Amino acid sequence: MTDIKQTDMEEITIATDVLVIGGGLAGVRAAAEIADLGYKVTLAEKSAALGGSQQNPGALFGLSAEEQRTVADTIQAVSAHAQVDVLTQTRVAAFAGVSGDFTVTLATAGDVRQQKVGAVVVAADFTLQPLNAAYGLSLSDGVVSQSQLDALLADKAAEARLGGKVVAFLVGFGQEGNPLVMKRVMKSVAALAAIEGCTVYVYVNNIKVAADSLEKLYMEGRSKGAIYFKLTEAPHVSPDGKAITYRDLVVRQDVELNPDLIVVEEALVADAENRQLAELLRIDQDAWNFLQSDNVHRFPIQTNREGVFVVGASRGIQDLPAVWTDAENTAMAVKGFLGNGTKRVPKGKAVVDNGKCTFCLTCYRCCPHGAIYWVAESNKAIISPVACQTCGICASECPMDAIQIGGFSDIELKAEFLGNLAGGAPRIVAFCCQNSAFEAGQMAAQFKMTLPAGLQMVKVPCAGKVDLDYILTALAEGADGVLVLTCHEGNCKSERGNTYASWRVEDAQRMLVEAGYEKDRLRFATLASNMGKEFSTLLLDMEARIKELGLSPLKN
Amino acid sequence: MSADPKKVMVIGGGIAGLTAAWELSKCGVAVDLVEKSDHLGGHAIQYCCKATEECRQCGACSVEKMLKNVVEAPNINVHCGVEVGRVARNGGFEVGLQASSVAAPAVAPGCDQRYESNPLACAAARKFSKNNAALDCGRAPADLTVDAIILASGFAPFDATRKGTYNYGKLPNVVTGLELERGVRANGRVLRPSDGQAPAKVAFIQCVGSRDERLGNLWCSHVCCPYALRVSELMKHHNPEIEITVFYMDIQNTGNNFPAFYEKCKQDLQFVRNIPVDVYPMENDRLRMRYTTESDGTPVDAEFDMVVLSIGIMPGLDNQRIATLLEIGLDADGFFQSAERFNRTATANNGIFLAGTVGGPKTIAASMAHAGQAAYEAMKYLGGAE
Ligand SMILES: Cc1cc2nc3c(=O)[nH]c(=O)nc-3n(C[C@H](O)[C@H](O)[C@H](O)COP(=O)(O)OP(=O)(O)OC[C@H]3O[C@@H](n4cnc5c(N)ncnc54)[C@H](O)[C@@H]3O)c2cc1C
Ligand code: SF4
Ligand code: SF4
Ligand code: SF4
Ligand code: SF4
Repeated sequence: MTDIKQTDMEEITIATDVLVIGGGLAGVRAAAEIADLGYKVTLAEKSAALGGSQQNPGALFGLSAEEQRTVADTIQAVSAHAQVDVLTQTRVAAFAGVSGDFTVTLATAGDVRQQKVGAVVVAADFTLQPLNAAYGLSLSDGVVSQSQLDALLADKAAEARLGGKVVAFLVGFGQEGNPLVMKRVMKSVAALAAIEGCTVYVYVNNIKVAADSLEKLYMEGRSKGAIYFKLTEAPHVSPDGKAITYRDLVVRQDVELNPDLIVVEEALVADAENRQLAELLRIDQDAWNFLQSDNVHRFPIQTNREGVFVVGASRGIQDLPAVWTDAENTAMAVKGFLGNGTKRVPKGKAVVDNGKCTFCLTCYRCCPHGAIYWVAESNKAIISPVACQTCGICASECPMDAIQIGGFSDIELKAEFLGNLAGGAPRIVAFCCQNSAFEAGQMAAQFKMTLPAGLQMVKVPCAGKVDLDYILTALAEGADGVLVLTCHEGNCKSERGNTYASWRVEDAQRMLVEAGYEKDRLRFATLASNMGKEFSTLLLDMEARIKELGLSPLKN
Repeated sequence: MSADPKKVMVIGGGIAGLTAAWELSKCGVAVDLVEKSDHLGGHAIQYCCKATEECRQCGACSVEKMLKNVVEAPNINVHCGVEVGRVARNGGFEVGLQASSVAAPAVAPGCDQRYESNPLACAAARKFSKNNAALDCGRAPADLTVDAIILASGFAPFDATRKGTYNYGKLPNVVTGLELERGVRANGRVLRPSDGQAPAKVAFIQCVGSRDERLGNLWCSHVCCPYALRVSELMKHHNPEIEITVFYMDIQNTGNNFPAFYEKCKQDLQFVRNIPVDVYPMENDRLRMRYTTESDGTPVDAEFDMVVLSIGIMPGLDNQRIATLLEIGLDADGFFQSAERFNRTATANNGIFLAGTVGGPKTIAASMAHAGQAAYEAMKYLGGAE
């Protein structure tokens, strides 16, 4: 085993073309900015035209005529951009390679082409889902969805048709909703309330006003005469949509309303095709089918893979200013990642010993950042220094011990705690993730919080790098207690490093118990970088427990 | 061009200013980061982690990380304890810095030996973060020449004494959300100010200062529902027996995972859709509030050990002065006005960009994204730089 440093640098040439998947407003904006930076962009849209699958973006985002023109101009500019190759009716058929060197196969009606790209921007659209079923209603002349109402209001004849009518909105009972859903409702409420003789009732649960100007829009609708009933449970609606029964909380009576028109809310949900895209690109999803894990390390536009970015509805439901923000952050990140096509990277991030590698591909499967690949001839795992984020998970999982991590090799890590295990005070070895627990530990020390005298912190790049072997060696060589301290679930920079660490601790605890040790000599806990106080409390608690158990049975 | 690297001044070292500075520094732009207080990280560096068995995505640890990035970046020059006194345009900007009007943090005796002697004071004396330790805030006047400016001077938390009937500042156990966050960060848990004991019954009053027609504050602050619910769940995690009541008008989302999180909150907490008007003192520093139930209008008299006022995001106290200095406009609410509909970092004065809550309420994550955009816009303005 040799010591591996990350100080030597190497230069790697990467592809600088960029693929943007999705030609909705987010994709168009991102493509425009990236192309303006001088990169060649391929913009692949699955439908026949740019601008997104939504029929009526003006109404959807509540745009004025002038704002709609701005949007149209943006789309026009991208179509005409010399650096942008627009492909409509095009899907990603296959995707291979690693960050900086991806090979993408694009299928356009009757034509398949392959292309090398350095970075990918995913700009998936969202889908509109009318929630009439949540109220037991079918859409009809008297029951319309928000989109149908938008179309109705865009029609010149709307005033004539809706004047003198009673319109009731049902919102927030079929879904929690979000400010964009609410804004659509409020815009149309204000428009309806301005029509002579039109009476508007809104039955609503939580009014989502956490966005620019929405509270004012809400007040505007009310000042024009719209009546909001805030209820925590959905009102009862007759199946034909002719009667709404609800409890009036002021007079404390059940009241019936007979509307001429019911408008049911629409949910904005992640594109159903996101799952396939995630599998193709090997990027993580959240529980709601968006293309980014719910992990603060990824916000705003990063994914688990270097060089793959997400904008707009790919990562959540957003209004247009936020889409613009995403697109510009992405352009900045693409520039930072691709630069001029030459990347200087440390040589020894993670190194495979070809003599040991048996090509089992465990490492390929467990790498959270898609950094491992192979080439047909070699039959050895290869780690891309561009894509690798040195979490060390692969090194700890490799059954052949074939991988070493620069700056955190087995020799270096063991040397850190082995020399220090003698002494009277309980020796506690704490393996600390450098992103979280190690920071918390340093905070505790620097703030002069009380810590065990025999504490030995061992910094690891991610708790996923804590081998079962380290834990057992520490205990076998005389540590009185061992802690594995990592990020909270959902906060691991490498997504699953904390999970691997917790499994290894469980395994080690089982082995300890079998060997006649107390299970409590080994502990797993999660901390964030700002939890200095909790770090101190946890370690003092551990020390107290070790004092109860006595020093390690291996010490005389 | 390359002989003379471009320079940008970032005003304000909260999460927005830190993010903008870091993004620019990565592009090879030299940054002068001007911070009025003696610590970087602004308000958000004072917040606690709200994870229970899982991370709640509050973003507080992102601030810690960004602060570390900035203090370690060689091309970011931090000026703290100073503020901008003078700005003149000459193609770029000539800037004069003067000693800050904000007092330096108090020295806390005993903190050098034992943090536990007074956690709240010791955390403040250490500028809230280990990453602030190396900051040297000389307060000396200085002159800068820069090519562009990013304004990230942030917000002011609502002054809860303006809602007099809550008796904030008079009753020790009526605290603001900011004090709650600071307390958890310093102590590792929620403690009642009057006796340092863990409370058994806690109330949150939402929308304190926000969505308030009488105050003329017609905006939602975006963040006070999220932090109130997250800290409530944290308290439940520490002590499953605790009783928590949330008085609210409408609950705002925390993020994509909100529907699942809210379901959990509805099981663990009591939600009352009614904002109480008064907080009365009781024996043993307990507090009493009166409200009517939503279902049948029964008046209820309830006692609590602690009442948390969920204060929101107000325009910064310096906004008028800064607007005059930089010749940019404020909106009707007193936040800085963005000059474009879609790009909310643009101002009416070319070369000056907005980042974070200067432009209106935002979460930490949204402030970071907005600041990244501001940095990008500044780069475009500088013509790519380097
Ligand atoms: C009680 C409370 C709890 C919150 N909890 C959360 C949460 O859990 N999660 C979340 O996402 N968001 C939360 N927020 C919102 C969060 O605080 C903001 O999103 C974030 O702090 C905004 O950062 P900023 O940089 O825009 O402003 P600030 O944090 O206000 O930073 C501005 C900085 O500029 C400095 N400054 C001001 N004027 C000048 C001047 N003239 N010259 C130089 N410097 C100046 C200030 O000293 C300060 O350091 C909370 C807000 C409150 C009020
Ligand atoms: S896990 Fe180890 S042995 Fe298996 S392919 Fe990877 S490096 Fe080779
Ligand atoms: S160290 Fe982590 S990121 Fe790098 S190859 Fe191994 S598992 Fe992947
Ligand atoms: S709860 Fe907040 S501070 Fe804690 S780990 Fe999650 S994002 Fe970080
Ligand atoms: S976030 Fe919640 S508490 Fe804050 S102003 Fe909005 S509705 Fe009120």
